[in-house]
Amino acid sequence: MNLELLGNLLRLRYRLIWAKTRSRNGKIALFMAGYLLLIAAFGALAAGGLGAGAIAVRAGKATQIAAGVLFGVYLCATIGTVILGFGMNAIFAESEMRRYPLRARERRLARHIVAMLDLYWYLVVGLDLGLLAGLYLYGAGFFWLGLLAVLLLYVCNYVTARVVSTIVERLVARRGGSILLMAAIMVLSLGPSFLMPYLQKHPHAVGPYLAWGKWTPPYGAALAMTRGDLSAVWGLGLILLWTALLGAAMVALEQWPVRARVASSGKLQWASRYERVGAFLGPQNAILIGQWLRFFSRNNRFRMMYPLSLPLVGFLVYALTRQTGMAHGPKVEFASAMGAYAIVGFIGTAQFAVNQFGYVGSGLRRYLLLPADPAVALRSCSYTFALLNMVLIVVGLVVWPFLSRGEFDPLMMVLLAGCSLTGMFLYLTAGLWVSLLAARRGNYYSSFGNDLSFAGNVILIGAMMALVFLPRVAAESWPDMFRSGYWWVTLAAAAVAAGIYWMSLERASVWFRARRERLLAIMEGRS
Amino acid sequence: MSSAILMRNLAKTYGMVVAVEDLSLAVPKGSMFGFLGPNGSGKSTTIGCLTGLLDPSAGEMEILGERFTAESADLKRRMGVMPETLGLFEPLYAHEFLAFVARMFGLDEATTRTRVTELLAALELTDTRKTLAEFSTGMRKRVAFAAAVIHSPEVLFLDEPFESIDPAGVALMKQWLRRFTEQGRTVFITSHVLETVERLCTAVAIITKPGKLVWQGDITVLANEGSIQYEGQEFHALEPLFLHLTGQHYADLNWL
Repeated sequence: MNLELLGNLLRLRYRLIWAKTRSRNGKIALFMAGYLLLIAAFGALAAGGLGAGAIAVRAGKATQIAAGVLFGVYLCATIGTVILGFGMNAIFAESEMRRYPLRARERRLARHIVAMLDLYWYLVVGLDLGLLAGLYLYGAGFFWLGLLAVLLLYVCNYVTARVVSTIVERLVARRGGSILLMAAIMVLSLGPSFLMPYLQKHPHAVGPYLAWGKWTPPYGAALAMTRGDLSAVWGLGLILLWTALLGAAMVALEQWPVRARVASSGKLQWASRYERVGAFLGPQNAILIGQWLRFFSRNNRFRMMYPLSLPLVGFLVYALTRQTGMAHGPKVEFASAMGAYAIVGFIGTAQFAVNQFGYVGSGLRRYLLLPADPAVALRSCSYTFALLNMVLIVVGLVVWPFLSRGEFDPLMMVLLAGCSLTGMFLYLTAGLWVSLLAARRGNYYSSFGNDLSFAGNVILIGAMMALVFLPRVAAESWPDMFRSGYWWVTLAAAAVAAGIYWMSLERASVWFRARRERLLAIMEGRS
Repeated sequence: MSSAILMRNLAKTYGMVVAVEDLSLAVPKGSMFGFLGPNGSGKSTTIGCLTGLLDPSAGEMEILGERFTAESADLKRRMGVMPETLGLFEPLYAHEFLAFVARMFGLDEATTRTRVTELLAALELTDTRKTLAEFSTGMRKRVAFAAAVIHSPEVLFLDEPFESIDPAGVALMKQWLRRFTEQGRTVFITSHVLETVERLCTAVAIITKPGKLVWQGDITVLANEGSIQYEGQEFHALEPLFLHLTGQHYADLNWL
């Protein structure tokens, strides 16, 4: 094992992070990211750890509560890597590592160690450590055994995320894989919601489901954290067993050759369906929009995220309206639906809209050479996202009658359409500016990894969080404001948002012309 | 003879760094013009300014007798550009990329199909199962060349066009470029292969860091076994003249 080279690669990974601070924006981003991380870690320590510890002491159910918290963290960390790509940035591709005198095993190890040391995983470990500290402080935990369990669980969590990501990546790369994936996501996301009423009617059926949980790594970690006997050893063994099994699966998946999609015919195909779709927004935009559609339709990440947004939308609408409504009443259900449909307006292209040129590379140069206003690239890309989002909005509205409770109210459809359009225009407006001012070069061929700038992540995650929580708070504070009679308010909001979008397009075009050299340097990797 | 390309006191700076300094140059219409200089001397920056990719910090540019800026869409339609970083959309197939460029330069669908098919056949880019990302460097260069000429431009800017292309491809491109200038159109070319420039170009300009013009003149005499006089010295080939003007010398490394 060439430990010196491994060490060099690890040092290089942090040197690359530090190198980003050479730009002013990078410095601010790093400071803000570090600051937010600190607040998040602190909040997790206080709320997760001490809260769970207190409940454990009072209820005498330390193991079960710890297992529940750890399972939630484990699941969120895995979903976060698969959906948002956090903690999966490889930094060093296999082809890059082959330049150095490293064996295959060393290359694999270096790649995974580098990925595991991503800041995202620090946060996950911070949450787990917070729980351990809470349990220990309240007298229900065993510190050293618990610490070992946290570290083992961290490795196991990373390996799980890597296996799931690789499976998804392989599925997307195959013909029909996206549909299979979509079906799986729908079952996994909607299944529990549909299962809930059955379990409420038949509480005795809950037992077998919970029994399965005792065989999971978070339960093993919970045992090690809360028991000082042989069951703690069993818990650690359980995590190790899972890590070994998943590790073997990961190695097998990585060695399984990727079957690239190849064209079935050697003949030239003059398919112009993209241009025909593009022509919906005027003949002058048809070619450029067609080009963007073709460009994104071949992107693995887009092919995964866009269809996935459909079941995700279904899940969001269901979870935010029916379940919330059952728990908090019709006004909150109404407000949650508005928030969910605003998310529908941008979720399908959210990752791309805040980094429009991130995957174009030196292709941006080609747009600037065209006999047209240079900013046409910016505008046409934004129109493309609007077009793609419109499709999801229509689908979302079509499924609303099936997801809503009570009688069908046509005014509600108008109101939700207004919410979706408002969400779409405002997000696209933010996307224009973030794409201009905080652009980041991404890897077109990678299915995972978070290629967004700090500002891009703030807009993407911030918009979704705000739309999930704020409407509920608003509905509880001003319940009279939420009824379908106010349908015209959302349409007026959509019109205002469209106006803001239109003005931003004009203004951002001027900025694009002025910043095109900088953008070109970023996309070509010179900055 | 009128100028196809005219630069007056062109300058480009990046903060404190000067990339091009007070460059004035006139390229005659119908010429095959070589633009030479050592690495980092500002050749690509100059082409960037002349094609609207970069905004010059000072100076004026004229193309085909009209003032040129990045907004000159009508003029751009009469220009073809093969940039150094080729500016390809890698996930596309060659014919899709060429069709996109052709349509954006105003060719109708029927002409686009004809020209794309003919160009792909002529440049031996007929493997339609490979995307541009899967092409070799030479093949990608051929695609970029095809994109530069597909709309029959009046002025052609080629930044290092022959690097990585096999001899047969280079011969074909040279043949096309000669025919291009015979029709009164202009080619502005940068290359480090001085033998090729000597045989192909009628005139050259040599610049040094930071984008300063040190020599401009007719080099057709070299093809007729003549010589160029400079500072009392006689140069029978472009290479010694280039080395003399740019003051290039290389250190000898004992360990190498």
